[in-house]
Formats: sequence, structure tokens, C-alpha cells
Amino acid sequence: MPYKNRKKRNLEWIVRGVIVIGMLPFFALLFAFWRGQLGFNPVETALQRTGEIAVVFLLISLAWSPIKRLFGWPMMLRFRKIFGLYAAFYAFTHFATFAIWDYGLNLALIMMEIREKPFILLGLAALLILLVLAATSFRYWQKKLGKGWRTLHRTVYAAAVLVLVHYFLAVKGNLFSLQGDYGAPLVAALTLLLLFLLRFPFIYRPLARIIQRKTS
Amino acid sequence: MEHEKSHSIPVDPGEITPKHIYQSRRQFLKQMGIFGMGALLASCAPALNSGSDPMDAPDEDLADNLTSYEAITGYCNFYEFTTNKEQVDENAQDFVTSPWSVMVDGMVENPRAFSMEEILASFTQEERIYRMRCVEGWSMVIPWVGFPLHELLEAVVPTEQAKYVLFEAALVPDQMEGANSGLFPFPYLEGLRLDEAMHDLTILATGLYDEPMPPQNGAPIRLVVPWKYGFKSIKSIVRISLVPDQPPTLWNTVAPQEYGFYANVNPNVDHPRWSQATERRIGETGRRETLFMNGYAEEVLPLYEGMDLTINF
Repeated sequence: MPYKNRKKRNLEWIVRGVIVIGMLPFFALLFAFWRGQLGFNPVETALQRTGEIAVVFLLISLAWSPIKRLFGWPMMLRFRKIFGLYAAFYAFTHFATFAIWDYGLNLALIMMEIREKPFILLGLAALLILLVLAATSFRYWQKKLGKGWRTLHRTVYAAAVLVLVHYFLAVKGNLFSLQGDYGAPLVAALTLLLLFLLRFPFIYRPLARIIQRKTS
Repeated sequence: MEHEKSHSIPVDPGEITPKHIYQSRRQFLKQMGIFGMGALLASCAPALNSGSDPMDAPDEDLADNLTSYEAITGYCNFYEFTTNKEQVDENAQDFVTSPWSVMVDGMVENPRAFSMEEILASFTQEERIYRMRCVEGWSMVIPWVGFPLHELLEAVVPTEQAKYVLFEAALVPDQMEGANSGLFPFPYLEGLRLDEAMHDLTILATGLYDEPMPPQNGAPIRLVVPWKYGFKSIKSIVRISLVPDQPPTLWNTVAPQEYGFYANVNPNVDHPRWSQATERRIGETGRRETLFMNGYAEEVLPLYEGMDLTINF
């Protein structure tokens, strides 16, 4: 088989593998629920885990092109899309856990919570952005929106910021003095900041030069 | 001695729930009967006890079944050890709780230290089954073993200047992994107004489920104030001081706009970032309405006569 075809076929398998791996946390969570392994406050555990998994996928998706560019590796943007779709999927599962499992689909109570509590409203806003991005992630929309597609999909950074604030506000403590259980949200925030900075050529070009010179 | 039931309480305009919220909550609890007992519980985890079936009982009579020993000792907020609630038991195993003494001082005639042996011998320990409501929105029903705080305070004779009681928890960095995280201004401090401290419901607990207090629950001696959010019930007490002014408390120091000094359970006064109208009872499915003063309003409301509870939260 010609080398190029073989490479392409291997890539297909890797893509499928990544898709399967992305579903594993979801099935692990379902399994844990079924076996009563979600601890003493299973709704809370499910909310925390789905939220954390969503954040991780979002950050991986955001990290994909900056890292590729830094190291001079081929972009392979289809993987970025898979991670982004999973971020939207887990964010939706997180919201469904809140609306269905926690609040029993009581719309009046849910609407009241969303209206009154900014932390929930921010999360919902982030989810809506991610869902729109997920829906428009297919080639049909890339063609239809043309240049507008890139602009639309840059709102993923807005979603990431909303998610970060939502995460910080979910922690007991004082955001301004940073007293409280801020370990995980802080790591997420610093990661996001780093990834955002890496978008700028004046930052990534010199870094890329150093990294690629060392490895060539 | 059991103090666990919620009596019907005289309704005060300040606690009337806006009708649209009340009705949606009633509807919610009925709906939970459909969702809670049906689809979601189909292959229910063995740990969940279906003690309360919202379809059978009207809201006011939701049962208060005892939370399991496993849950009470396996799900704790004790940040000195870790912020992971289900890991506190593991991290607290090496906490040394004997020998132990509690220093009782301040504006009292006979300030002195009490050893745990003396405390257990001098004050009759009795069972008190209390609801416990965490500010985070979950709750339990716990069969404490302890004695009324006022008995200890009476033994040292507070003077006229004593208006508040300050409590201090143990801080032993060698045995407490989270003590030096820098995230919290330990040692954990809490406080009560003197009349709250002297109330018969307020106890010092030394055990639960007829067992000695496990380290993760605040061994060997801790406070339990059932009508307030759980963070007021300070654990592993080393010092009790009678003071003239309202003392600082850890959570009030960390975020005063969110955690007040009084911290009375009140479904009508929301936390700034989340609602306090409903709660999840650990071991049960679905949410239940949070009770005013955690259901102890009849016993404690007189303490707050004339006070605006939205300001003094």
C-alpha cells in the first residue's frame, strides 16, 4: 500500500479511538451511579464531575492549535473539533444533571434559580455558546458562513471565560482575597490565560523558534 | 431525649414565602414523586435509602429519618484536613484526640481547663437527634450524644461583662494536611450570643450513634447548634471564652457578605450566590423545602424578637 494511504488509514483509526475515549468518562459516570459509587451526595458529585470533564475538554480543545504551532506539528484540526464537541456534550450533561436530576424539571424553580443566581446564568450562557458552536462545527456551516465562521468560533474564548467565572463562583470562599477552595479553578484560569497569550504571534513566534530549533 | 420534630409555628410576616414560589415548590415536590421514585431510582444505588416518599406525605410531614452512620462519618466538611468531603475520614485517622482539655476562660469567675475525662464525668451525656443543614444546601439527621453547653458555662460562672461566647478549634499542622494551605485563616473560630449559647438546644457533643465522636466529626468534643447552618457547629474545640463583644468567626472573616455571624437557617434569605430555599437530604433523592430555623423556630424564635433577619443573617 502506498505510504500516504497507509498513514491516512492509521489516522482514521486514531480519530475513532479518540472519539471512543471521549465517551469513556460519561460511561464511567453512569456506571458509578448505577453501582452507588458517586458518594454520599451523588447529585453534587455528578455535577462536579461533569463540570470538570467539560472544562478539561474545553481547555484541551483550546490548547490544540497553540501547542501544535509551538512545536511545529501538523495541525490536525479534526481532533480540535472532537474535543470541542465533547466539551459541549459534557457541558450539556452537566446542565441536564442540574435541571433533571437535581431540580426534577421544575421549570418555575429552575427559572427562578437562573434569574436570581448569576453563577447559574453564566454557566447557562457558556453552554448556549458551546451548543451553537457545536451545531455550526460542520463543513456545511463553514461554507455557508464563510469568513463569518471564524469570527463566530472565536466566541469559544468568551465561553471559556464565562465557564471560569462560573467555576470560581461555585466555590465557597472569597474570590477577591482568594480565601477558599480555589485550587482547581485557579489552575484552569492560569491555563486559559496561557493559551490565550499563545494566540499572539509576538509571543508564540519567538517561543516556537526556540522550541523547534532545539528539536531539529 | 429527642428534639427532632418540626412543630407548626406561628407565622410571622417576615417568613411568608411568596405565593408563586410556594406553589411551584409544592408542585416540585409532587413532581419529584414521579421523577424521584420512578425512572431515576430504577437501578438505584444501594446506599440510597428511600426513607421519604414525597408522593405519600404532604410537604409539611416529610419524614426526618436518621442519616446513616456511614454517611455522617464519611461526608464531612473539615477543611483543616482536606476540602474533599469524602476524604476527611481517611485524613483525620491520625488526629490525636486524647489527652484533651478545653480551656474555659474570659469573663468568668472561675476560668480553668477541663479535661475530657472530667467533662464526661461531670456532665450527663444524653442523646439529641438533630437536623443539620449545611450552608451548601445539603442536610442530615444526626443522633448526637452530648450535654447542654449552658451546664459547662454555669460551672465557670460568667460575669456581667460576658455577652458572647467565642470558640476556638484545634490547629495541629503536623496532623492536619490542609492546615497550611494558606487558603483559610485558621484556627477555626466561631461564636454565639450568650443567650444562644445558654439555650437548651445548644449542646457540646461528644459522640454520635452512641459511639465516641470520630475524629472526622470533630473529636473529642464539638458544638452543635441545630437551628444554624452547619459551619457554626465548630469541631474539636480547645477553647471557650466568654467575651464582651461579637467575636470574629472564620467564615465571617473570609466572606462577610456571604456568611453572617448569626447564620440562622432561613429559606427566605438566600446566600448571595445560591438559593437557600431547598436542600438535598443526604441518603434521599430529590430536594426538600428548607425549614425556617431548620424546623426549630418554635424553640428559638424568641431569641430574635424584633431583629431584622435579612440584616442580621
